[in-house]
Amino acid sequence: MKKIIKAPLIAIACLLLSHFAAAQKTDTTKKSTSADSLMSAIDGPAKAEPVIATFKSTRLVLSQTTQTVKKGNLNFQIIHRFGDVAGTNGGGKEFFGLDDVNDVYFGFEYGITDNLNVDFGRSTIGGLLNLELKYALLHQTTDNSVPVDVTVLGEWDTRPYSSFSSYSARLSYLGQVIIARKFSEFLSFQVSPSFVRNNTPIPLGNEQQFLAIQSAARIRLTAHTGFIVDYAHSFSTYKQAQDPLGFGYELETGGHVFTVNVTNARAIQEINYLSNSDASYGKGQYRIGFTISRMFDLNKHKTKVEN
Amino acid sequence: MKTISIILLAWMSIINQAGQDLYVCKNAKISLYSEAPIEDISAETATGTSVFNASTGDIAFSVNIRSFTFPKSLMQEHFNTDYMESDKYPKATFKGKIQEKIDVTKNGIYPVTATGDLTVHGVTKNRSITGKATVDNGTVTITSEFIVKCADHNITIPRLVFHNIAESIQMKVNATYSPYK
Repeated sequence: MKKIIKAPLIAIACLLLSHFAAAQKTDTTKKSTSADSLMSAIDGPAKAEPVIATFKSTRLVLSQTTQTVKKGNLNFQIIHRFGDVAGTNGGGKEFFGLDDVNDVYFGFEYGITDNLNVDFGRSTIGGLLNLELKYALLHQTTDNSVPVDVTVLGEWDTRPYSSFSSYSARLSYLGQVIIARKFSEFLSFQVSPSFVRNNTPIPLGNEQQFLAIQSAARIRLTAHTGFIVDYAHSFSTYKQAQDPLGFGYELETGGHVFTVNVTNARAIQEINYLSNSDASYGKGQYRIGFTISRMFDLNKHKTKVEN
Repeated sequence: MKTISIILLAWMSIINQAGQDLYVCKNAKISLYSEAPIEDISAETATGTSVFNASTGDIAFSVNIRSFTFPKSLMQEHFNTDYMESDKYPKATFKGKIQEKIDVTKNGIYPVTATGDLTVHGVTKNRSITGKATVDNGTVTITSEFIVKCADHNITIPRLVFHNIAESIQMKVNATYSPYK
């Protein structure tokens, strides 16, 4: 008889214990409720995303960036380079170069897809018309499974018919691989190995084709402003060459990006400044320039969000 | 003896019941909207997650800032980089308690008020947010509309920005829960 009673007693004791344990459990989770812990279980950490806004615009002072114009967007750019600030062609009589215009570039960049752009533009120097395809191959991710952005571009340039002997003599080509990394929200850096081919060497006596390298960095100052440095070097035999170097201040205001810059390069287009850049900081041959770019979204939008 | 066992069994099942009143939603719709002179700003996501404990009233929401899609891609980029700083603050969350008791066994519409912590852009504010809970054959839907003021969460809007951005953003939440097993 005793044994028979004992069994249920033990069972009751066990149940009480288990209940006590359960009660304790709810006690300890009081601070982080059961909903809370379940939340963290199903929610998990934020998943890896492509890093965005490595650069705020598609062009810095000299270089193009890895950024592409998104699908259905049209980016319109006006880039301007004034005359020499100092030196024999600058100074007060030229209002420090502002009376003079070295190069003006009008450009359109259109997003066929988020990663593929077609760009078209014209420069004053050489009357150069350029048509470009740009493709974003790789995107840096927040978990670093892809550590860099890689964008490739190919450009086809033509000069107006004038002193050239044939059509093909008017053509130039540029190929570039742009590799960029956003190291932190404050620093983005890129390097772009390039290939330049001028069917007619520029200037005459230079090589028809050569390699070049460009590199640029952007330092974020505030959410809307940044400081940019841009540098290029050509591996050509052109003796008078001075490496283009530019500094800029970038201001982004919603749909616009404004850049005010100082550079020794007179030309805006890569073909021009990589081939023929002889302006030197030491001789006062640096200039003020600016870039205005305006993004137009040509996609059709519904106006109301339904929920 | 028998009665004791029955009581114990009933007791146990009650304990278990209390632990199973959890409801989960992994596709909560969250949208933001603000009217501005030049262009209205709107974005939405359908990937918010939420957990609701019907017996205690505890409720939690979490949404990835990057999951909000805007009609304009540039706006989306600026939302993430310039305003929400989603690299630094990838999520917005709410953790609170619904004040009213919702009877999940009875179909109906219950007006509710959730009091708790709303964290946006790394800044936590204690808020009391009203909404509506609808019980329909075991599923619970919670909807709510509320205002988030940019200034409350240290979201700064520089004067130079040409987009006219509203100081307060209208939020809409719609979460349909199913019991958590």
